[in-house]
Amino acid sequence: MHNIIRLSSVLVLVAMLSAALLTGLHNLTEPVIREREEREYIEALEKFFPDLDNFESETVDGESFDLVYDQEGELLGIMATVSTQGYDGTIRYNLAVDDEGIIKGIIVTSHSETPGIGDVITTSDFQEQFIGKGYDDQIQDGEDVDAVSGATESTAAMIGSIRRTVVNIGEHFLGKEVASSDIPSVEDGVYHGSAEGTRGTLTVEVEISEGRLERIEVIEQNETDAYFVESYPLIPEKIVEEQSLNVDTQTGATLSAERIIFAVENALKSTPVEEGSGGDGTVE
Amino acid sequence: MTEQLSDKSVYVQDLTRGIVRENPVFKLLLGLCPVLGVTAFFINGVGMGIAATAVLVASNVVISSLKKFIPPQVRIPCFIVVIATFVTVIDMVLEAFQPALHEALGIFVPLIVVNCVILGRAEAFAGKQPVIRSLIDGIGVGIGFTLALGILAFVREVAGHGTLMGPDPESAVYLFGPGFEPMGLFAQPPGAFIALGLLLGIFNVIFKKLNIK
Repeated sequence: MHNIIRLSSVLVLVAMLSAALLTGLHNLTEPVIREREEREYIEALEKFFPDLDNFESETVDGESFDLVYDQEGELLGIMATVSTQGYDGTIRYNLAVDDEGIIKGIIVTSHSETPGIGDVITTSDFQEQFIGKGYDDQIQDGEDVDAVSGATESTAAMIGSIRRTVVNIGEHFLGKEVASSDIPSVEDGVYHGSAEGTRGTLTVEVEISEGRLERIEVIEQNETDAYFVESYPLIPEKIVEEQSLNVDTQTGATLSAERIIFAVENALKSTPVEEGSGGDGTVE
Repeated sequence: MTEQLSDKSVYVQDLTRGIVRENPVFKLLLGLCPVLGVTAFFINGVGMGIAATAVLVASNVVISSLKKFIPPQVRIPCFIVVIATFVTVIDMVLEAFQPALHEALGIFVPLIVVNCVILGRAEAFAGKQPVIRSLIDGIGVGIGFTLALGILAFVREVAGHGTLMGPDPESAVYLFGPGFEPMGLFAQPPGAFIALGLLLGIFNVIFKKLNIK
């Protein structure tokens, strides 16, 4: 009995000493770390917005956006702090856009992508292709930007996330209309659209009825089965559910998911293969 | 006089044993997780070595000075708490003052807690020997560990990236010019095993030639 008390008191004492030391040190280092993170963020802001005078933060859908103003109170641009799922863990980055929603730059603040492969997302070669792109561009793989082969999961995740962020910023802060994915304005009917898949063409059939996206079906595809089977039902379901092409593509087959969205978008822009019953009345 | 001399030679032995004869990586194959994990760049490898050395020296000294106070039945949990404390200290200090290195070492800093080099020295040496000898032993083994990490990281960086002093582009020296395509395999985890295996073979030959057992 005496022995047990002695053993436990030694353990408790060692643990208490350790806790005391760590608490003290934490109080010393914590402000230094905070201050450095804040300073780095401000430096990044000043790099993108040299005329920065003040900024205010807003939160939309869990992401934080800083609206940057100059001395006269004119909006200079917006810095978004975004998290997205990469190939291996969460990628956090800052995206700076100007007052027109044009991308000024990207800073990846933390990620755990594969060194030498997925960490290509931190290189300027990959990031520079986004600069100057904005709300009206096709921030899609194979269009105005390219994923990096060998690192498709990491780069496609970034591309998708950046597109969603640019669209979010445009719609929430810059008064942009929901343009290409404006489903209610599409006439009723059945549409076909294609996109270049990871291994050949991917074609979807989309049915619009009374301004609603009723059905999406993939009618031709040649994707990698193991991955595609997972993403294939998910993405059309999500699009139909949210009635929006601006859906999350984190599926394990990010690239195929991105291509499905792109194919649907193409379908909505095309002429219908079959007119709907509720057309505009001029159809036979 | 003779006692002083023998004291000195004991200290010298304590110091050199960890560097060559019982080098934790090349002779004992201990603590290989960080050895393989962070040695893609020389700076990261040496940084890891120094961080582990700091923990090793501090925990050796503390464990050695507490050895009378700690009952043998609970020595392992006590050792682990002491080691974990110093690892957390290093983790916090690195994050505050060396953010780039902290970012590069990532999970391998907290993992120093379970580095068997450190627990091994606590159990085999510091738990039995006087404070000064434990301090010197910690420094010796730490130097040996850092050297091994440095050599492996140097080989992997040159082969896998074609650089010296990377990954920071400001300090990186491109050894083979811009058109050089490095052997990316050596920057990857499998390349770490291959490079370590090759180095082990080379060092075995050297140790044999020099008759170091």
